Amino acid sequence: MAKPKIGIFDFACCEGCQLQIVNMEEDLLNLLALVDPVEWREAMSDQSDHYDIAIVEGSITRDEDAERLRKVRESADYVIALGACATIGGVNKLQNNFAIEDVQVMVYGDAANMPHLASTPAQAIHEVVKVDYMVHGCPIDAHELTHVVRCLLAGKQPVMPDYPVCVECKMKENGCRYEYGEVCLGPVTRAGCDARCPSNGFWCFGCRGYVDDPNLEAAASVMEQYGKTLDDLKSKMALFGSAQEHKL
Amino acid sequence: MNIKRVTEKEFAAWVDALTPKHTLYAPQAKEDRFAFDRLTAGEDLRLDYDVSILPPKKYFLPQKEVLIKFDRKGNFESVIAHEPFVLFGVHPYDFVAMDQLNTIFEQDNYDVHYMARKEAATVVVSDVQVASADVFAGCMGNATVEDRDGYDVLLTRLDDGSYVVETRSEKGEVLTGLLSSAVDADEVTLQQREQVWNRTREQLQKHKLEMTPEQIPALLDKSYDHPLWAEKAELCHSCGSCNLVCPTCYCFTVEDELNWDMETGQRYRQWDGCMLTGFATVTGNHNFRDKKEARYRHRYYRKGKYVWDMIGEIACVGCGRCISACTTNIANPVEVFNQLSEEQQ
Ligand code: SF4
Ligand code: SF4
Ligand code: SF4
Ligand code: SF4
Ligand code: SF4
Repeated sequence: MAKPKIGIFDFACCEGCQLQIVNMEEDLLNLLALVDPVEWREAMSDQSDHYDIAIVEGSITRDEDAERLRKVRESADYVIALGACATIGGVNKLQNNFAIEDVQVMVYGDAANMPHLASTPAQAIHEVVKVDYMVHGCPIDAHELTHVVRCLLAGKQPVMPDYPVCVECKMKENGCRYEYGEVCLGPVTRAGCDARCPSNGFWCFGCRGYVDDPNLEAAASVMEQYGKTLDDLKSKMALFGSAQEHKL
Repeated sequence: MNIKRVTEKEFAAWVDALTPKHTLYAPQAKEDRFAFDRLTAGEDLRLDYDVSILPPKKYFLPQKEVLIKFDRKGNFESVIAHEPFVLFGVHPYDFVAMDQLNTIFEQDNYDVHYMARKEAATVVVSDVQVASADVFAGCMGNATVEDRDGYDVLLTRLDDGSYVVETRSEKGEVLTGLLSSAVDADEVTLQQREQVWNRTREQLQKHKLEMTPEQIPALLDKSYDHPLWAEKAELCHSCGSCNLVCPTCYCFTVEDELNWDMETGQRYRQWDGCMLTGFATVTGNHNFRDKKEARYRHRYYRKGKYVWDMIGEIACVGCGRCISACTTNIANPVEVFNQLSEEQQ
Protein backbone atom coordinates (compact mmCIF):
# COMPACT_ATOMS: atom_id res chain seq x y z
CA MET A 1 0.00 0.00 0.00
CA ALA A 2 1.27 3.47 -0.85
CA LYS A 3 2.14 5.61 2.12
CA PRO A 4 -0.38 8.34 3.00
CA LYS A 5 0.54 11.67 1.43
CA ILE A 6 1.08 14.56 3.75
CA GLY A 7 1.38 18.25 2.86
CA ILE A 8 2.57 21.05 5.13
CA PHE A 9 1.35 24.55 4.29
CA ASP A 10 2.20 27.82 5.93
CA PHE A 11 0.40 31.14 6.16
CA ALA A 12 1.04 34.18 8.37
CA CYS A 13 3.33 32.92 11.14
CA CYS A 14 6.93 32.68 12.26
CA GLU A 15 7.26 29.08 11.03
CA GLY A 16 8.43 28.19 14.50
CA CYS A 17 5.99 25.31 14.62
CA GLN A 18 7.36 23.75 11.45
CA LEU A 19 10.78 24.16 12.94
CA GLN A 20 9.63 21.98 15.82
CA ILE A 21 8.89 19.26 13.26
CA VAL A 22 12.27 19.66 11.56
CA ASN A 23 13.88 19.44 14.99
CA MET A 24 12.18 16.17 15.94
CA GLU A 25 15.34 14.28 14.88
CA GLU A 26 14.72 10.58 15.44
CA ASP A 27 10.95 10.96 15.51
CA LEU A 28 11.09 12.75 12.17
CA LEU A 29 12.54 9.58 10.67
CA ASN A 30 9.83 7.55 12.40
CA LEU A 31 7.23 9.85 10.93
CA LEU A 32 8.73 9.68 7.44
CA ALA A 33 8.62 5.89 7.64
CA LEU A 34 4.84 6.17 7.87
CA VAL A 35 3.94 9.05 5.59
CA ASP A 36 5.14 10.52 2.35
CA PRO A 37 5.61 14.30 2.47
CA VAL A 38 4.61 15.69 -0.92
CA GLU A 39 4.53 19.39 -0.14
CA TRP A 40 6.71 21.00 2.44
CA ARG A 41 8.26 24.31 1.55
CA GLU A 42 10.54 24.40 4.55
CA ALA A 43 12.12 21.04 3.72
CA MET A 44 11.40 20.04 0.12
CA SER A 45 9.78 21.04 -3.15
CA ASP A 46 7.48 18.23 -4.42
CA GLN A 47 3.76 18.91 -4.90
CA SER A 48 0.56 16.93 -5.27
CA ASP A 49 -3.12 17.49 -6.04
CA HIS A 50 -4.33 15.17 -3.29
CA TYR A 51 -3.25 14.94 0.34
CA ASP A 52 -4.36 12.40 2.90
CA ILE A 53 -3.38 14.85 5.58
CA ALA A 54 -2.79 18.59 5.17
CA ILE A 55 -0.99 20.25 8.05
CA VAL A 56 -1.66 23.97 8.05
CA GLU A 57 0.41 26.49 9.97
CA GLY A 58 -0.26 30.21 10.37
CA SER A 59 -3.19 32.61 10.32
CA ILE A 60 -5.17 33.91 7.38
CA THR A 61 -4.51 37.63 6.88
CA ARG A 62 -5.08 38.16 3.16
CA ASP A 63 -7.89 37.32 0.74
CA GLU A 64 -5.58 35.36 -1.52
CA ASP A 65 -4.46 33.27 1.49
CA ALA A 66 -8.06 32.42 2.24
CA GLU A 67 -8.40 31.31 -1.37
CA ARG A 68 -5.26 29.16 -1.20
CA LEU A 69 -6.46 27.61 2.07
CA ARG A 70 -9.80 26.67 0.48
CA LYS A 71 -7.91 24.87 -2.28
CA VAL A 72 -5.85 23.01 0.32
CA ARG A 73 -9.03 21.99 2.08
CA GLU A 74 -10.58 20.73 -1.16
CA SER A 75 -7.61 18.54 -1.92
CA ALA A 76 -7.14 17.08 1.58
CA ASP A 77 -8.95 14.30 3.46
CA TYR A 78 -7.89 15.63 6.84
CA VAL A 79 -6.80 19.12 7.80
CA ILE A 80 -4.74 19.59 10.94
CA ALA A 81 -4.27 23.15 12.18
CA LEU A 82 -0.76 23.46 13.56
CA GLY A 83 0.18 25.93 16.28
CA ALA A 84 -1.53 28.89 17.88
CA CYS A 85 -1.46 31.04 14.72
CA ALA A 86 -3.53 28.38 12.97
CA THR A 87 -5.71 27.09 15.84
CA ILE A 88 -6.74 30.36 17.48
CA GLY A 89 -5.18 33.15 15.42
CA GLY A 90 -2.49 33.54 18.04
CA VAL A 91 -0.36 36.66 18.20
CA ASN A 92 -1.55 37.68 14.72
CA LYS A 93 -4.91 38.58 16.24
CA LEU A 94 -3.28 41.36 18.22
CA GLN A 95 -3.80 43.40 15.04
CA ASN A 96 -7.55 42.82 15.27
CA ASN A 97 -7.57 45.14 18.30
CA PHE A 98 -7.01 48.04 15.88
CA ALA A 99 -8.49 49.32 12.63
CA ILE A 100 -6.82 47.47 9.76
CA GLU A 101 -5.89 50.76 7.99
CA ASP A 102 -3.99 51.91 11.08
CA VAL A 103 -2.22 48.59 11.35
CA GLN A 104 -1.10 48.80 7.72
CA VAL A 105 0.40 52.26 8.29
CA MET A 106 2.06 51.13 11.54
CA VAL A 107 3.70 48.20 9.77
CA TYR A 108 4.37 49.41 6.23
CA GLY A 109 4.52 53.21 6.67
CA ASP A 110 4.47 54.99 3.31
CA ALA A 111 3.93 51.75 1.41
CA ALA A 112 0.72 50.99 3.31
CA ASN A 113 -1.50 51.45 0.29
CA MET A 114 0.38 49.20 -2.12
CA PRO A 115 -2.13 46.59 -3.36
CA HIS A 116 0.11 43.59 -2.67
CA LEU A 117 0.31 44.60 0.99
CA ALA A 118 -3.44 44.69 1.52
CA SER A 119 -4.37 42.60 4.52
CA THR A 120 -7.49 41.55 6.41
CA PRO A 121 -8.08 41.03 10.14
CA ALA A 122 -6.33 37.80 11.19
CA GLN A 123 -8.37 34.60 11.21
CA ALA A 124 -7.68 31.16 12.62
CA ILE A 125 -7.84 28.33 10.08
CA HIS A 126 -11.19 26.99 11.33
CA GLU A 127 -12.69 30.44 10.82
CA VAL A 128 -12.16 29.97 7.08
CA VAL A 129 -12.44 26.23 6.43
CA LYS A 130 -13.44 23.11 8.35
CA VAL A 131 -10.58 21.79 10.49
CA ASP A 132 -10.46 18.18 11.63
CA TYR A 133 -7.82 18.39 14.33
CA MET A 134 -5.98 21.08 16.17
CA VAL A 135 -2.50 20.90 17.59
CA HIS A 136 -2.34 23.92 19.87
CA GLY A 137 0.56 25.86 21.27
CA CYS A 138 3.12 28.52 20.45
CA PRO A 139 5.13 26.69 19.51
CA ILE A 140 3.59 23.22 19.25
CA ASP A 141 4.92 20.18 21.03
CA ALA A 142 5.97 17.90 18.18
CA HIS A 143 5.02 14.80 20.19
CA GLU A 144 1.43 15.94 20.21
CA LEU A 145 1.49 16.27 16.42
CA THR A 146 2.96 12.82 15.93
CA HIS A 147 0.42 11.39 18.36
CA VAL A 148 -2.40 12.93 16.33
CA VAL A 149 -0.93 11.64 13.06
CA ARG A 150 -0.55 8.11 14.49
CA CYS A 151 -4.14 8.21 15.74
CA LEU A 152 -5.40 9.31 12.31
CA LEU A 153 -3.44 6.58 10.54
CA ALA A 154 -4.86 4.02 12.97
CA GLY A 155 -8.40 5.28 12.42
CA LYS A 156 -8.64 6.45 16.01
CA GLN A 157 -10.02 9.78 17.23
CA PRO A 158 -7.26 11.71 19.02
CA VAL A 159 -8.40 13.17 22.33
CA MET A 160 -7.78 16.88 22.77
CA PRO A 161 -7.89 18.00 26.40
CA ASP A 162 -10.80 20.21 27.37
CA TYR A 163 -9.47 20.89 30.83
CA PRO A 164 -7.23 23.69 32.03
CA VAL A 165 -3.44 23.75 32.34
CA CYS A 166 -3.87 23.57 36.15
CA VAL A 167 -4.55 19.84 35.81
CA GLU A 168 -1.14 19.14 34.32
CA CYS A 169 0.46 21.75 36.55
CA LYS A 170 -0.81 20.01 39.66
CA MET A 171 0.28 16.63 38.32
CA LYS A 172 3.76 18.11 37.92
CA GLU A 173 3.55 19.17 41.59
CA ASN A 174 4.34 22.81 40.91
CA GLY A 175 3.77 25.55 43.41
CA CYS A 176 0.98 27.76 42.06
CA ARG A 177 2.03 31.08 40.52
CA TYR A 178 -0.85 32.76 42.32
CA GLU A 179 0.80 31.83 45.61
CA TYR A 180 3.85 33.72 44.36
CA GLY A 181 1.76 36.82 43.66
CA GLU A 182 1.59 36.33 39.89
CA VAL A 183 -1.35 36.22 37.50
CA CYS A 184 -1.43 32.91 35.64
CA LEU A 185 -3.83 32.09 32.81
CA GLY A 186 -3.63 28.36 33.56
CA PRO A 187 -7.18 28.08 34.96
CA VAL A 188 -8.75 29.23 31.68
CA THR A 189 -6.23 27.80 29.20
CA ARG A 190 -6.52 24.44 27.44
CA ALA A 191 -4.05 21.84 28.72
CA GLY A 192 -1.86 19.57 26.63
CA CYS A 193 1.56 21.18 27.06
CA ASP A 194 2.33 19.45 30.38
CA ALA A 195 2.14 22.87 32.01
CA ARG A 196 5.36 23.86 30.28
CA CYS A 197 5.54 27.39 31.69
CA PRO A 198 4.53 26.95 35.35
CA SER A 199 6.85 23.92 35.48
CA ASN A 200 9.66 26.32 34.68
CA GLY A 201 8.64 28.96 37.19
CA PHE A 202 6.71 31.13 34.75
CA TRP A 203 3.00 31.92 34.55
CA CYS A 204 0.93 30.48 31.70
CA PHE A 205 0.27 33.12 29.04
CA GLY A 206 -2.45 31.12 27.38
CA CYS A 207 -0.80 30.05 24.13
CA ARG A 208 -3.04 26.99 23.71
CA GLY A 209 -6.16 29.12 23.73
CA TYR A 210 -9.08 29.00 26.12
CA VAL A 211 -10.81 25.82 27.24
CA ASP A 212 -14.25 25.39 25.65
CA ASP A 213 -16.04 27.24 28.43
CA PRO A 214 -13.53 29.45 30.25
CA ASN A 215 -14.71 31.20 33.40
CA LEU A 216 -13.06 34.56 32.64
CA GLU A 217 -15.33 36.34 35.11
CA ALA A 218 -14.05 34.12 37.90
CA ALA A 219 -10.47 34.95 36.93
CA ALA A 220 -11.33 38.65 36.95
CA SER A 221 -13.18 38.50 40.25
CA VAL A 222 -10.16 37.40 42.25
CA MET A 223 -7.66 39.94 40.94
CA GLU A 224 -8.18 42.31 43.83
CA GLN A 225 -7.71 39.55 46.35
CA TYR A 226 -4.26 38.89 44.88
CA GLY A 227 -3.41 42.60 44.90
CA LYS A 228 -3.85 42.80 41.12
CA THR A 229 -6.10 44.81 38.85
CA LEU A 230 -8.39 43.87 36.00
CA ASP A 231 -5.86 45.51 33.66
CA ASP A 232 -3.14 43.18 34.93
CA LEU A 233 -5.30 40.28 33.82
CA LYS A 234 -6.37 41.85 30.56
CA SER A 235 -2.83 42.70 29.55
CA LYS A 236 -1.86 39.03 30.07
CA MET A 237 -4.83 37.95 27.99
CA ALA A 238 -4.07 40.23 25.05
CA LEU A 239 -1.26 38.13 23.60
CA PHE A 240 -3.26 34.99 22.84
CA GLY A 241 -6.75 36.06 23.88
CA SER A 242 -7.30 38.90 21.39
CA ALA A 243 -10.38 38.65 19.15
CA GLN A 244 -11.41 35.29 20.63
CA GLU A 245 -14.94 34.02 20.99
CA HIS A 246 -14.69 34.43 24.77
CA LYS A 247 -13.72 37.81 26.14
CA LEU A 248 -13.85 39.80 29.33
CA MET B 1 7.53 -4.02 69.00
CA ASN B 2 9.91 -1.49 70.48
CA ILE B 3 9.87 2.24 71.16
CA LYS B 4 13.21 4.05 71.18
CA ARG B 5 14.32 7.51 72.14
CA VAL B 6 16.84 8.66 69.57
CA THR B 7 19.00 11.77 69.82
CA GLU B 8 19.04 14.23 66.94
CA LYS B 9 22.52 13.04 65.98
CA GLU B 10 21.60 9.36 66.11
CA PHE B 11 18.53 10.09 64.04
CA ALA B 12 20.55 11.81 61.30
CA ALA B 13 23.04 8.94 61.27
CA TRP B 14 20.14 6.48 60.94
CA VAL B 15 18.71 8.28 57.91
CA ASP B 16 22.19 8.40 56.37
CA ALA B 17 22.46 4.66 56.89
CA LEU B 18 19.05 4.05 55.31
CA THR B 19 19.50 6.04 52.10
CA PRO B 20 22.04 3.79 50.36
CA LYS B 21 20.23 0.61 51.45
CA HIS B 22 16.63 1.44 50.56
CA THR B 23 14.63 3.31 47.95
CA LEU B 24 13.35 6.13 50.12
CA TYR B 25 10.74 8.71 49.12
CA ALA B 26 10.60 11.57 51.56
CA PRO B 27 9.55 15.22 51.91
CA GLN B 28 12.11 17.66 50.53
CA ALA B 29 12.15 21.33 49.65
CA LYS B 30 10.75 22.26 46.24
CA GLU B 31 11.51 25.97 45.93
CA ASP B 32 9.79 27.29 49.03
CA ARG B 33 7.25 24.45 49.12
CA PHE B 34 7.66 20.78 49.83
CA ALA B 35 7.26 17.63 47.80
CA PHE B 36 7.92 13.91 48.25
CA ASP B 37 10.82 12.82 46.10
CA ARG B 38 13.57 10.20 46.02
CA LEU B 39 15.87 10.81 49.00
CA THR B 40 19.50 10.19 48.19
CA ALA B 41 21.18 12.34 50.84
CA GLY B 42 19.99 12.45 54.44
CA GLU B 43 20.60 16.18 54.66
CA ASP B 44 17.80 16.81 52.12
CA LEU B 45 15.16 15.27 54.40
CA ARG B 46 12.68 17.87 55.65
CA LEU B 47 10.54 16.34 58.37
CA ASP B 48 9.69 19.92 59.35
CA TYR B 49 7.63 20.23 56.15
CA ASP B 50 4.17 21.70 56.66
CA VAL B 51 2.43 19.91 53.81
CA SER B 52 3.59 18.38 50.52
CA ILE B 53 2.10 19.88 47.34
CA LEU B 54 0.84 16.44 46.29
CA PRO B 55 0.03 13.75 48.83
CA PRO B 56 2.25 10.64 48.94
CA LYS B 57 -0.55 8.62 47.32
CA LYS B 58 1.32 9.34 44.07
CA TYR B 59 3.55 6.37 44.94
CA PHE B 60 0.57 4.00 45.05
CA LEU B 61 -1.45 5.63 42.28
CA PRO B 62 0.96 7.56 40.05
CA GLN B 63 -0.19 10.54 37.98
CA LYS B 64 0.23 8.42 34.88
CA GLU B 65 1.05 4.72 34.72
CA VAL B 66 1.09 2.04 32.06
CA LEU B 67 -1.38 -0.74 32.89
CA ILE B 68 -0.84 -3.10 29.99
CA LYS B 69 1.26 -3.45 26.88
CA PHE B 70 -0.66 -4.78 23.90
CA ASP B 71 -0.44 -5.48 20.20
CA ARG B 72 -3.19 -5.11 17.64
CA LYS B 73 -3.55 -8.87 17.27
CA GLY B 74 -5.04 -8.89 20.74
CA ASN B 75 -2.06 -10.03 22.82
CA PHE B 76 -1.46 -8.17 26.04
CA GLU B 77 0.55 -8.25 29.20
CA SER B 78 -0.11 -6.47 32.51
CA VAL B 79 2.57 -4.16 33.79
CA ILE B 80 2.85 -4.48 37.55
CA ALA B 81 5.50 -2.69 39.57
CA HIS B 82 6.54 -4.17 42.89
CA GLU B 83 10.04 -3.00 43.71
CA PRO B 84 10.20 -2.48 47.49
CA PHE B 85 10.31 1.13 48.64
CA VAL B 86 9.96 3.21 51.77
CA LEU B 87 7.60 6.15 52.13
CA PHE B 88 9.41 8.07 54.79
CA GLY B 89 7.80 10.93 56.73
CA VAL B 90 4.12 10.58 55.81
CA HIS B 91 1.94 12.88 57.90
CA PRO B 92 -0.82 11.19 59.93
CA TYR B 93 -3.71 12.67 57.91
CA ASP B 94 -2.08 11.44 54.69
CA PHE B 95 -1.67 8.00 56.21
CA VAL B 96 -5.39 7.95 57.06
CA ALA B 97 -6.15 8.84 53.44
CA MET B 98 -3.84 6.12 52.12
CA ASP B 99 -5.46 3.62 54.44
CA GLN B 100 -8.84 4.60 53.02
CA LEU B 101 -7.60 4.17 49.43
CA ASN B 102 -6.15 0.78 50.39
CA THR B 103 -9.60 -0.35 51.51
CA ILE B 104 -11.25 0.94 48.35
CA PHE B 105 -8.68 -0.46 45.90
CA GLU B 106 -8.71 -3.82 47.66
CA GLN B 107 -12.46 -4.40 47.70
CA ASP B 108 -14.73 -5.14 44.74
CA ASN B 109 -12.37 -5.01 41.75
CA TYR B 110 -9.03 -5.80 43.37
CA ASP B 111 -6.67 -3.33 41.67
CA VAL B 112 -3.48 -5.32 41.04
CA HIS B 113 -1.44 -2.30 39.99
CA TYR B 114 -2.27 -0.30 43.09
CA MET B 115 -2.08 -3.22 45.49
CA ALA B 116 1.32 -4.37 44.21
CA ARG B 117 2.74 -0.98 45.12
CA LYS B 118 0.95 -0.91 48.44
CA GLU B 119 2.37 -4.33 49.35
CA ALA B 120 5.85 -3.24 48.29
CA ALA B 121 5.80 -0.16 50.51
CA THR B 122 7.07 0.36 54.02
CA VAL B 123 5.31 3.37 55.52
CA VAL B 124 7.04 5.57 58.06
CA VAL B 125 4.64 8.08 59.56
CA SER B 126 6.02 11.30 60.99
CA ASP B 127 3.94 13.47 63.31
CA VAL B 128 3.40 17.00 62.06
CA GLN B 129 6.07 19.42 63.30
CA VAL B 130 4.85 22.57 61.54
CA ALA B 131 1.15 23.14 60.84
CA SER B 132 0.32 24.30 57.32
CA ALA B 133 -1.82 27.39 56.72
CA ASP B 134 -5.06 25.54 55.99
CA VAL B 135 -4.79 22.21 57.78
CA PHE B 136 -7.80 21.09 59.84
CA ALA B 137 -6.95 17.44 60.43
CA GLY B 138 -7.42 18.15 64.14
CA CYS B 139 -11.16 18.67 63.53
CA MET B 140 -11.38 15.44 61.55
CA GLY B 141 -9.72 13.21 64.15
CA ASN B 142 -6.67 12.72 61.93
CA ALA B 143 -4.00 14.88 63.55
CA THR B 144 -2.30 11.85 65.08
CA VAL B 145 -2.60 8.12 64.36
CA GLU B 146 -1.32 6.36 67.48
CA ASP B 147 -4.61 4.44 67.71
CA ARG B 148 -4.52 3.18 64.14
CA ASP B 149 -2.81 0.22 62.50
CA GLY B 150 -1.44 -0.27 59.06
CA TYR B 151 1.84 1.62 59.08
CA ASP B 152 5.29 0.41 60.00
CA VAL B 153 7.13 3.08 61.97
CA LEU B 154 5.95 6.18 63.83
CA LEU B 155 8.29 9.14 64.34
CA THR B 156 7.56 11.90 66.84
CA ARG B 157 9.95 14.77 67.38
CA LEU B 158 10.23 15.97 70.96
CA ASP B 159 10.97 19.56 71.96
CA ASP B 160 14.68 18.90 72.55
CA GLY B 161 15.09 17.69 68.97
CA SER B 162 15.25 14.02 69.79
CA TYR B 163 12.86 11.55 68.20
CA VAL B 164 10.63 8.86 69.57
CA VAL B 165 10.80 6.02 67.05
CA GLU B 166 8.10 3.41 67.47
CA THR B 167 8.37 0.23 65.44
CA ARG B 168 4.95 -1.09 64.50
CA SER B 169 5.61 -4.08 62.26
CA GLU B 170 8.20 -6.51 60.98
CA LYS B 171 8.64 -4.37 57.89
CA GLY B 172 9.37 -1.49 60.22
CA GLU B 173 11.95 -3.54 62.11
CA VAL B 174 14.01 -3.89 58.97
CA LEU B 175 14.50 -0.13 59.08
CA THR B 176 14.72 0.46 62.83
CA GLY B 177 17.03 -2.51 63.29
CA LEU B 178 19.81 -0.13 62.28
CA LEU B 179 18.98 1.92 65.39
CA SER B 180 19.76 -0.83 67.87
CA SER B 181 22.21 1.29 69.86
CA ALA B 182 19.50 3.82 70.84
CA VAL B 183 17.92 3.58 74.27
CA ASP B 184 14.40 2.33 74.94
CA ALA B 185 11.92 5.11 75.60
CA ASP B 186 11.18 5.52 79.30
CA GLU B 187 7.95 6.63 80.97
CA VAL B 188 8.96 10.32 80.86
CA THR B 189 9.65 10.10 77.14
CA LEU B 190 6.26 8.57 76.49
CA GLN B 191 4.60 11.36 78.47
CA GLN B 192 6.49 13.93 76.47
CA ARG B 193 5.23 12.26 73.31
CA GLU B 194 1.64 12.43 74.63
CA GLN B 195 2.13 16.16 75.16
CA VAL B 196 3.34 16.62 71.59
CA TRP B 197 0.28 14.76 70.33
CA ASN B 198 -2.10 16.84 72.43
CA ARG B 199 -0.53 20.01 71.17
CA THR B 200 -0.63 18.79 67.57
CA ARG B 201 -4.33 17.97 67.81
CA GLU B 202 -4.95 21.55 68.92
CA GLN B 203 -2.68 23.13 66.33
CA LEU B 204 -4.03 21.33 63.30
CA GLN B 205 -7.29 23.25 63.40
CA LYS B 206 -6.65 26.27 61.18
CA HIS B 207 -10.28 26.06 60.16
CA LYS B 208 -12.86 25.07 62.77
CA LEU B 209 -15.47 22.55 61.82
CA GLU B 210 -18.56 23.31 63.87
CA MET B 211 -19.72 19.71 64.08
CA THR B 212 -18.24 16.27 64.47
CA PRO B 213 -17.15 14.63 61.22
CA GLU B 214 -19.75 11.89 61.77
CA GLN B 215 -22.50 14.49 61.50
CA ILE B 216 -21.54 15.46 57.94
CA PRO B 217 -23.39 12.63 56.10
CA ALA B 218 -26.71 13.50 57.75
CA LEU B 219 -26.13 17.18 57.05
CA LEU B 220 -25.58 16.45 53.38
CA ASP B 221 -28.70 14.28 53.31
CA LYS B 222 -30.67 17.48 53.85
CA SER B 223 -28.63 19.81 51.65
CA TYR B 224 -28.95 18.56 48.10
CA ASP B 225 -31.06 21.50 46.91
CA HIS B 226 -29.28 24.17 48.92
CA PRO B 227 -28.57 27.40 46.95
CA LEU B 228 -24.97 27.37 48.18
CA TRP B 229 -23.87 24.94 45.45
CA ALA B 230 -24.80 27.25 42.59
CA GLU B 231 -23.60 30.37 44.40
CA LYS B 232 -20.12 29.00 45.08
CA ALA B 233 -19.83 27.31 41.70
CA GLU B 234 -20.16 30.71 39.97
CA LEU B 235 -16.45 31.17 40.66
CA CYS B 236 -15.42 27.65 39.69
CA HIS B 237 -12.90 27.17 36.86
CA SER B 238 -13.58 23.44 36.62
CA CYS B 239 -9.81 23.20 36.91
CA GLY B 240 -9.75 20.13 39.11
CA SER B 241 -6.96 21.47 41.32
CA CYS B 242 -9.02 20.61 44.40
CA ASN B 243 -9.29 17.00 43.17
CA LEU B 244 -5.73 16.57 42.07
CA VAL B 245 -4.13 17.63 45.33
CA CYS B 246 -6.54 15.60 47.46
CA PRO B 247 -5.15 12.51 49.19
CA THR B 248 -8.50 10.69 49.03
CA CYS B 249 -9.35 11.42 45.38
CA TYR B 250 -8.65 8.36 43.26
CA CYS B 251 -10.40 8.84 39.92
CA PHE B 252 -8.52 8.09 36.75
CA THR B 253 -9.11 7.92 33.03
CA VAL B 254 -7.79 5.22 30.72
CA GLU B 255 -6.28 5.76 27.26
CA ASP B 256 -4.53 3.65 24.64
CA GLU B 257 -1.43 4.83 22.84
CA LEU B 258 0.13 3.29 19.70
CA ASN B 259 3.87 3.09 19.14
CA TRP B 260 5.61 4.07 15.93
CA ASP B 261 5.40 0.52 14.60
CA MET B 262 1.61 1.04 14.57
CA GLU B 263 1.28 -2.52 15.88
CA THR B 264 2.19 -2.38 19.56
CA GLY B 265 1.08 0.07 22.18
CA GLN B 266 0.25 0.64 25.81
CA ARG B 267 -2.82 1.31 27.83
CA TYR B 268 -2.19 3.82 30.56
CA ARG B 269 -4.24 5.48 33.24
CA GLN B 270 -3.92 9.04 34.36
CA TRP B 271 -5.46 11.06 37.18
CA ASP B 272 -8.87 12.52 36.48
CA GLY B 273 -11.13 14.68 38.62
CA CYS B 274 -14.88 15.04 39.09
CA MET B 275 -14.60 18.84 38.83
CA LEU B 276 -13.44 18.67 35.20
CA THR B 277 -16.09 19.48 32.61
CA GLY B 278 -15.83 16.21 30.70
CA PHE B 279 -15.50 13.90 33.71
CA ALA B 280 -19.02 12.49 33.50
CA THR B 281 -19.21 12.37 29.70
CA VAL B 282 -20.12 8.92 28.44
CA THR B 283 -20.57 7.30 25.04
CA GLY B 284 -22.68 9.40 22.70
CA ASN B 285 -21.31 12.58 24.25
CA HIS B 286 -23.84 12.60 27.09
CA ASN B 287 -22.58 14.46 30.13
CA PHE B 288 -24.65 13.62 33.16
CA ARG B 289 -23.00 16.38 35.22
CA ASP B 290 -22.64 19.10 32.63
CA LYS B 291 -23.37 22.00 35.01
CA LYS B 292 -20.56 23.24 37.20
CA GLU B 293 -22.83 23.49 40.23
CA ALA B 294 -23.62 19.80 39.86
CA ARG B 295 -19.93 18.98 39.71
CA TYR B 296 -19.18 21.32 42.59
CA ARG B 297 -21.83 19.69 44.76
CA HIS B 298 -20.72 16.23 43.76
CA ARG B 299 -17.26 16.75 45.19
CA TYR B 300 -18.64 17.57 48.65
CA TYR B 301 -20.99 14.61 48.56
CA ARG B 302 -18.12 12.45 47.52
CA LYS B 303 -16.11 13.70 50.51
CA GLY B 304 -18.88 13.73 53.09
CA LYS B 305 -21.42 11.10 52.16
CA TYR B 306 -20.81 8.69 49.27
CA VAL B 307 -17.63 7.15 50.67
CA TRP B 308 -19.28 7.12 54.10
CA ASP B 309 -22.16 5.13 52.63
CA MET B 310 -19.67 2.78 51.01
CA ILE B 311 -17.13 2.09 53.79
CA GLY B 312 -18.16 4.22 56.78
CA GLU B 313 -15.36 6.77 56.47
CA ILE B 314 -15.38 10.49 55.70
CA ALA B 315 -13.33 11.08 52.56
CA CYS B 316 -11.84 14.32 53.78
CA VAL B 317 -8.93 13.93 56.17
CA GLY B 318 -8.46 17.66 56.71
CA CYS B 319 -5.12 18.18 54.95
CA GLY B 320 -6.27 21.60 53.70
CA ARG B 321 -4.58 21.18 50.30
CA CYS B 322 -7.73 21.95 48.31
CA ILE B 323 -8.20 25.18 50.23
CA SER B 324 -4.77 26.45 49.24
CA ALA B 325 -4.95 25.07 45.70
CA CYS B 326 -8.19 26.75 44.65
CA THR B 327 -7.28 30.08 43.04
CA THR B 328 -10.80 31.44 43.57
CA ASN B 329 -11.07 30.28 47.19
CA ILE B 330 -14.24 28.25 46.96
CA ALA B 331 -12.91 24.80 47.75
CA ASN B 332 -12.87 24.93 51.58
CA PRO B 333 -14.84 21.93 52.93
CA VAL B 334 -15.05 23.40 56.45
CA GLU B 335 -16.57 26.62 55.16
CA VAL B 336 -19.12 24.72 53.08
CA PHE B 337 -20.12 22.27 55.81
CA ASN B 338 -20.37 25.05 58.42
CA GLN B 339 -22.48 27.23 56.15
CA LEU B 340 -24.82 24.35 55.32
CA SER B 341 -25.14 23.59 59.00
CA GLU B 342 -25.89 27.19 59.99
CA GLU B 343 -28.50 27.55 57.31
CA GLN B 344 -30.26 24.37 58.39
CA GLN B 345 -31.15 25.86 61.76
S1 SF4 C 1 2.17 29.43 16.80
FE1 SF4 C 1 3.92 30.57 17.54
S2 SF4 C 1 5.67 29.31 16.99
FE2 SF4 C 1 3.94 28.58 15.79
S3 SF4 C 1 4.07 29.68 13.91
FE3 SF4 C 1 2.71 30.86 15.22
S4 SF4 C 1 4.04 32.36 16.21
FE4 SF4 C 1 5.36 30.80 15.33
S1 SF4 D 1 0.41 27.96 38.38
FE1 SF4 D 1 -1.18 28.48 36.91
S2 SF4 D 1 -1.56 26.56 35.85
FE2 SF4 D 1 -0.48 26.05 37.72
S3 SF4 D 1 -2.11 25.61 39.20
FE3 SF4 D 1 -1.56 27.78 39.44
S4 SF4 D 1 -3.02 28.85 38.14
FE4 SF4 D 1 -3.05 26.71 37.50
S1 SF4 E 1 1.74 26.80 30.11
FE1 SF4 E 1 0.33 28.11 28.97
S2 SF4 E 1 1.61 29.50 27.81
FE2 SF4 E 1 2.91 27.83 28.51
S3 SF4 E 1 2.91 26.35 26.84
FE3 SF4 E 1 1.26 25.75 28.20
S4 SF4 E 1 -0.57 26.79 27.41
FE4 SF4 E 1 1.22 27.77 26.48
S1 SF4 F 1 -11.10 17.54 50.56
FE1 SF4 F 1 -9.46 19.03 50.74
S2 SF4 F 1 -8.94 19.08 52.90
FE2 SF4 F 1 -10.17 17.25 52.55
S3 SF4 F 1 -8.65 15.65 52.22
FE3 SF4 F 1 -9.20 16.45 50.20
S4 SF4 F 1 -7.70 18.06 49.78
FE4 SF4 F 1 -7.58 17.58 51.96
S1 SF4 G 1 -13.42 24.51 43.26
FE1 SF4 G 1 -11.60 25.73 42.84
S2 SF4 G 1 -9.94 24.24 42.59
FE2 SF4 G 1 -11.86 23.13 42.45
S3 SF4 G 1 -12.31 23.05 40.24
FE3 SF4 G 1 -13.37 24.85 41.06
S4 SF4 G 1 -11.91 26.52 40.79
FE4 SF4 G 1 -10.75 24.63 40.54
